[in-house]
Amino acid sequence: MNTIRIIRMDTVQSPAHSRVMMQSEATDLSARNRPQRAVRAGRLIAVRSLLCVFAIQAAGPVRADDKAASLGPTIAMQGSSRDRPACAACHGVDGAGQPDVGIPRLAGLHASYIADQLGYFASGKRRNPIMAPYAEALTPDQRRAVADYFAGLPIPSHVDAVPAPPAQLERGRALFQRGDAQTKLIACTQCHGPNGVGVGSFTPRLAGQSGPYISDQLHRWRDGDPRDPRGSYMQAIAARLSPEDIEAVATYAASLDPKPGRSQRSADR
Amino acid sequence: MTIRTSVPVAFASLVALGSLTDWTAHLPAAHAAEANDKAAFVPPPESAIPQGKFGDEVRLGEKIFREPGMHAAAYVGNDLRCSNCHLDAGRLAGSAPMWGAYVSYPAYRSKNGHVNSFEERLQGCFRFSMNGKAPPLGDPVLVALESYSFFLAKGLPIDEAPPGRGFPALPKPDTKPDYNRGAQVYADHCAACHGGDGLGQSADGKIVFPPLWGPRSYNWGAGMGSIKNAAEFIHANMPLGMGGSLTPQQAWDVATYVDSQVRPQDPRFTGNVAETRAKFHDNPNSMYGQTIDGAVLGDPAVTPPAGTVPEAAASEPGK
Ligand code: HEC
Ligand code: HEC
Ligand code: HEC
Ligand code: HEC
Repeated sequence: MNTIRIIRMDTVQSPAHSRVMMQSEATDLSARNRPQRAVRAGRLIAVRSLLCVFAIQAAGPVRADDKAASLGPTIAMQGSSRDRPACAACHGVDGAGQPDVGIPRLAGLHASYIADQLGYFASGKRRNPIMAPYAEALTPDQRRAVADYFAGLPIPSHVDAVPAPPAQLERGRALFQRGDAQTKLIACTQCHGPNGVGVGSFTPRLAGQSGPYISDQLHRWRDGDPRDPRGSYMQAIAARLSPEDIEAVATYAASLDPKPGRSQRSADR
Repeated sequence: MTIRTSVPVAFASLVALGSLTDWTAHLPAAHAAEANDKAAFVPPPESAIPQGKFGDEVRLGEKIFREPGMHAAAYVGNDLRCSNCHLDAGRLAGSAPMWGAYVSYPAYRSKNGHVNSFEERLQGCFRFSMNGKAPPLGDPVLVALESYSFFLAKGLPIDEAPPGRGFPALPKPDTKPDYNRGAQVYADHCAACHGGDGLGQSADGKIVFPPLWGPRSYNWGAGMGSIKNAAEFIHANMPLGMGGSLTPQQAWDVATYVDSQVRPQDPRFTGNVAETRAKFHDNPNSMYGQTIDGAVLGDPAVTPPAGTVPEAAASEPGK
């Protein structure tokens, strides 16, 4: 029984300035033990059940003139309404996600990519029962605002607690950097950029992304689900990966340093 | 401005994971259409490169092939790599692999009217595809590239065009290739990567999606400047990862669009566009000298120069 931990947020200061001094604390409500990556069997998102019972003590109403500028941080930190809690409750105050249970990192993804994905969650083109209610609750402007907010956060430094076997990492590296001529797999870097930093709004950053999340997305594509209207490229890629190779490449990508330079001239395409 | 009104928000929801496993309908795995699946030669793996001086040369050749701008800077005048057109670093059947080329020279080429050695063929790609300068015969850069190609061809009989050499032939288009239809194909299938302006995209300081036209792409003398070559290459290999997914007509149309854009001058330019067309481009596969949107392709007034090797690099050849 693995759970997404809902992060409790106490003492929230004005979100208008993103230097929110927050006590963020991961609370695992149904199981004391932190889920182990090794527990994952086959296509797993490490979420077996999601029991969200939590309280956020959020900052109060924001003054009207701050409102436009603070729309993004407000949604991220406080939620869009009473029954839609903050994105940060799952994706973290710093946007780092919860790597071990497959909640993706949002900090440093391209704003258009985030906004597009929120649109797909909302319309059901990307099916996900956890994200759908949050995305549906947002207007397009709100999606754009919260996307800008997460895209602009500094990329959190890298934590990968679970060391992977060297042979698996090596296999992952080979596939990621070079591809596999035998299966006609092209290298991940050919579209996701050097070391998987992502290219403009076309491909998301993979470096330092949650390993279980990467693995889960790849399994979905491999099973024939396009995920969203731009998913055909990845269907063609994932069809060439065995389950072992998916593990290897996900583990390797998660191990990459997410920090090095951000996408350059392409950034605002 | 901080107003500290605490609003406790309580929230409870339960999503049973049963529903999570139903996200995906179990459809058969998607496969990109495969253009090149004929039993083509498989070059030896990287791990088979021998130790010692010859192996070093092979490894250097592969490095140059992947990053000519870094390892053969004195001869490179644009942002392309050999491996951008000869995919999988010259290994992939159907994208003019180096093993297929190696066993096919010396050969007569109508492009220059005499029998070319393999080295001379390599020179041509520097001059045209790389918009650079031909390394002199015997130059370490050519020796390394030749060693790499020789290594890749291990086991192939010589002088028999092996299956997988060059680009797979493409049926003639049903209707005459069209620039405007090509622009639409480009917008739908290419622009996401190569950019609406064709100038490519980079990340972290490295070119990821190479420029298809403009001052940093191949020049008017290059093989890819032939609509036929480009249509064949594109049909077999583009969009990247989904080769074979365009119809032949779409490939011809988009090749016409790409090869009707501004790019560096033909290094054989005689000083006169019409004359240069008559001498080197007098065929339906070249748009050189034709008028598109009121501008003459190749007109020196709007055409970037040929052979733009960086000065610093040019002064220390062989690097
Ligand atoms: C209850 C936990 C939870 C909350 C709250 C939540 N998310 Fe998510 N989010 C997830 C999970 C789980 C996924 C992975 C979905 C999947 O597997 O497809 C996800 C995925 C995403 C993605 C896709 C990332 C990618 O790389 O493709 C975006 C964007 C996103 N969330 C934004 C938000 C925003 C913005 C909010 C607040 C409005 C929010 N999320 C609130 C759990 C949550
Ligand atoms: C041909 C280009 C291409 C190649 C090669 C490629 N990708 Fe992707 N990838 C994409 C695109 C485009 C997207 C965005 C898809 C979407 O929006 O649905 C994507 C998205 C992803 C995502 C989702 C990330 C997120 O934040 O939700 C993962 C995971 C991924 N790719 C992994 C890989 C891996 C691993 C490889 C190498 C084995 C790879 N990709 C190779 C084009 C590519
Ligand atoms: C812009 C794309 C492009 C780039 C970059 C490029 N080439 Fe080529 N190359 C081609 C095309 C197209 C052909 C086929 C030309 C023809 O048939 O006229 C070709 C042909 C060749 C051939 C002969 C193949 C055969 O089977 O006869 C060799 C050898 C070669 N290139 C080497 C190189 C080297 C070495 C580099 C880097 C220095 C390079 N090329 C860069 C497009 C390119
Ligand atoms: C998923 C991204 C992607 C898409 C979509 C794509 N390409 Fe490419 N293209 C590439 C990459 C990457 C290379 C270089 C390949 C390499 O280095 O292995 C390339 C190389 C090329 C080249 C040879 C190099 C050059 O700069 O001239 C041509 C020509 C080309 N593409 C044309 C097209 C056309 C036409 C389309 C649309 C039908 C298209 N591409 C769609 C990624 C893409």
